[in-house]
Amino acid sequence: MKEILVRPERCMGCRSCEIACAVEHSVSRDLFRALSEMPQKRLYVEHVPEYSLAVPILCRHCEDAPCVAVCPTGALTQDALTGVVRHNRDVCIGCWTCASVCTYGVIGRDRRARVAIKCDRCPELDVPACVSACPTRALIYGVVEDLSEARRAASALKLARGVAASR
Amino acid sequence: MSARTPTVCPYCAVGCGFYITRSGIEYMQDHPVNEGSLCPKGNAALDVLNHVDRLRYPMMRIGDGWIRVSWEEALDRLAEEMKRALREMGPKSIAFLGSAKCTNEENYLFQKIARLVGTNSIDNSARRCHSPTIVALRRMLGTPAMTNPITDLALSDCILLIGSNLAENHPVVARWILRARDRGAAVIVADPRVTPTAWLADLHLQLNPGTDIALINGMINVILREGLENRSFIKERTGGFEELDVSDYTPDRVSSITGLSAGDIVRAARLYAKSSASTIVYCMGITQHTCGTDNVTACANLALICGQIGRPGAGILPLRGQNNVQGACDMGALADFYPGWRSVDDSREIDELRRLWNAGALPVGRGLTADMMPDADLRFLYVMGEDIVNSDPTVSRRRGKLKRCFMVVQEIFMTDTAKLADLVLPAAAWAEKEGTFTSTERRVQWVSRAGEPPGEARPDIWILAEVAARLGFDFPSEPEEVLAEINQAVPAYRGISRRNAGARGGIIWPCPHPDHPGTPVLHAERFSTPDGRARISPVHHTPLERTSPEHPLILLTGRVVLHYNSGSMTMRSEGLVKREPEMHVDVNPDDAARFGVADGDTVVVETGWGRARARARVTPRQKRGTLFMPFHFPETNLIASELLDRNAMMPELKIAACRIGRAD
Repeated sequence: MKEILVRPERCMGCRSCEIACAVEHSVSRDLFRALSEMPQKRLYVEHVPEYSLAVPILCRHCEDAPCVAVCPTGALTQDALTGVVRHNRDVCIGCWTCASVCTYGVIGRDRRARVAIKCDRCPELDVPACVSACPTRALIYGVVEDLSEARRAASALKLARGVAASR
Repeated sequence: MSARTPTVCPYCAVGCGFYITRSGIEYMQDHPVNEGSLCPKGNAALDVLNHVDRLRYPMMRIGDGWIRVSWEEALDRLAEEMKRALREMGPKSIAFLGSAKCTNEENYLFQKIARLVGTNSIDNSARRCHSPTIVALRRMLGTPAMTNPITDLALSDCILLIGSNLAENHPVVARWILRARDRGAAVIVADPRVTPTAWLADLHLQLNPGTDIALINGMINVILREGLENRSFIKERTGGFEELDVSDYTPDRVSSITGLSAGDIVRAARLYAKSSASTIVYCMGITQHTCGTDNVTACANLALICGQIGRPGAGILPLRGQNNVQGACDMGALADFYPGWRSVDDSREIDELRRLWNAGALPVGRGLTADMMPDADLRFLYVMGEDIVNSDPTVSRRRGKLKRCFMVVQEIFMTDTAKLADLVLPAAAWAEKEGTFTSTERRVQWVSRAGEPPGEARPDIWILAEVAARLGFDFPSEPEEVLAEINQAVPAYRGISRRNAGARGGIIWPCPHPDHPGTPVLHAERFSTPDGRARISPVHHTPLERTSPEHPLILLTGRVVLHYNSGSMTMRSEGLVKREPEMHVDVNPDDAARFGVADGDTVVVETGWGRARARARVTPRQKRGTLFMPFHFPETNLIASELLDRNAMMPELKIAACRIGRAD
């Protein structure tokens, strides 16, 4: 199952993902769109300058999602097949219980409708907009096993270099 | 109009491709440079099209107000005023400013008008970004441009970034640097600030502002002392090595100038010289100084003595600013060059153009550069797509002087420059017209029309052909016809056509004939100097503006990721403005305490040139003793220095001694 995975060591904090997300989710995404519309993002680039890092924080679509468990109206549901946590704005009552339990703080507030707003992993796109936009590939769309495999290979390479150098 | 139109981003010079569709942007996964990705400005690029602020009709000034006029009336008036100035005061009284945001074809026609009416007083914003690169690299290597394509960075084993904050200014370039790092390449960043680019570094050299030559000469000193230079390359490919004396630049002495540790200087020198393929990437931190030309020369010296040039992954990459700044210069929209880098001082070089243009005589000798225009007693000024009032400190302070001449501004928005004009002509934006743009890596790409300009706005090329006709010149008005003439005027563009420039990723010049595949890597076998050898030229460190009791801090300027130059486009993009809404100044916590400034305070920053207000951001990322202000807001212009690099006429935009205090 594909997830949006983050490689924070590659993020430069440029916020391209935030803009791409907001544009993808604007109501009338076209050239002649109303300027009064204020598109809202669903992921957040958090700068941590003391560690020279910026970290994109976005919905993890947790396997046993706390937000889904606490939602009193069933506005938040989890797709059994894809694991995507969906939000139905029509039944959302804006009680913010989901925001209270979300470990990552990625449940936002729709300024006009006063309901929750969160990552829907871009159902109309093959690859989510934030991933396509990222200049440094800090965001990738793939399966966890592949990321872990790549991390293991990189780590083995570093170790091998050290061993070779000490021979 | 087809369902999706391929286009090239109108912001920086990286030349990223994307599609414009009815529903917005679609990513172009198979573009060679950006592989689909875009930075925040690219993602917001469509915001400028059909913006409510777009200029829709020609307008003429009447007293303090404007009246809408017909194109006929506007163009007649323009020609009449230009002719009157020529008749009464001669060609010295008129000047032109071309645009690094307009196409090659438009800049070519624009400079052709200037030259045919008898003046070399034509310039473009390259003056304030890479004029030192033009002077130094043309003299040393023969060709004033990036030697290798951006994607080549992935092949480098050592990348030295000096005076470039590409993570914010050219974010997509970082994609290729990270690819090199994945392969184990070393990244060295020399910058006084801890920028997001410095986050990418294995070695961050946080040098004192304005000490780049000392650092590079120090690296050369280490390389020569340790015998790491490339002797055969120096012997076979270069000249002037004997004159290069850097014996004074010992690591200890350079350490005291730059504030770096001697060990870091040695480490940087070894990493760069020993790697199998090293690249130097530099930008405005090198060029925007009174010693800009010498800074570029120092960088090229380093590459030449190590033979780190002319191979995949080894070269010198000056990152250009605007989407067509390389092209505008190739087309001769410069006070010191005709199309094809022919010097204005050599009448033999321009003889070919005289015949091509069927002209009697062409002007010789450098014309007025942008900074000289306000004091030149002009009668007529024609500005095409440049907001000089918000980007040029001299013009900004002396805008009143410009108001005395008849000023025409051709623009997409009512910029602060347009507000001074007597005549404002509404132009089409990049996606509403056709033609070629040349990115920083010499990549020429054809842009197709994705929509219609608003109101009566017209492509610049149409406007210029109409103006030319009224002056008695017969100019082509179709981009393809103009490109065919450029084939004759600019040798590097001889084989470039709509066909090869319109293919995915376009074509990289030089392209000497229509079937040529383009030349991604320059100087592979010989340099483009007359004798084929590169010129090594000694340069020395001279201290720049120093602090004084009155001005105890050094102000640094630069860009932030969400905005672009004077902001005429990005400040109209809601998504961008929301995230970076106002002028700020970064202050080190120690300096903040020393001068009684707290985070969030409104402060006044004052240099010997002027004063400006800004919001203080106290951050340990800022080097002690320095301040940083982005130049996207008009205030920075008011306090920037007017000193010039006399070789390139580049203003000292990067640093100025200053003081800071709370506004109240």
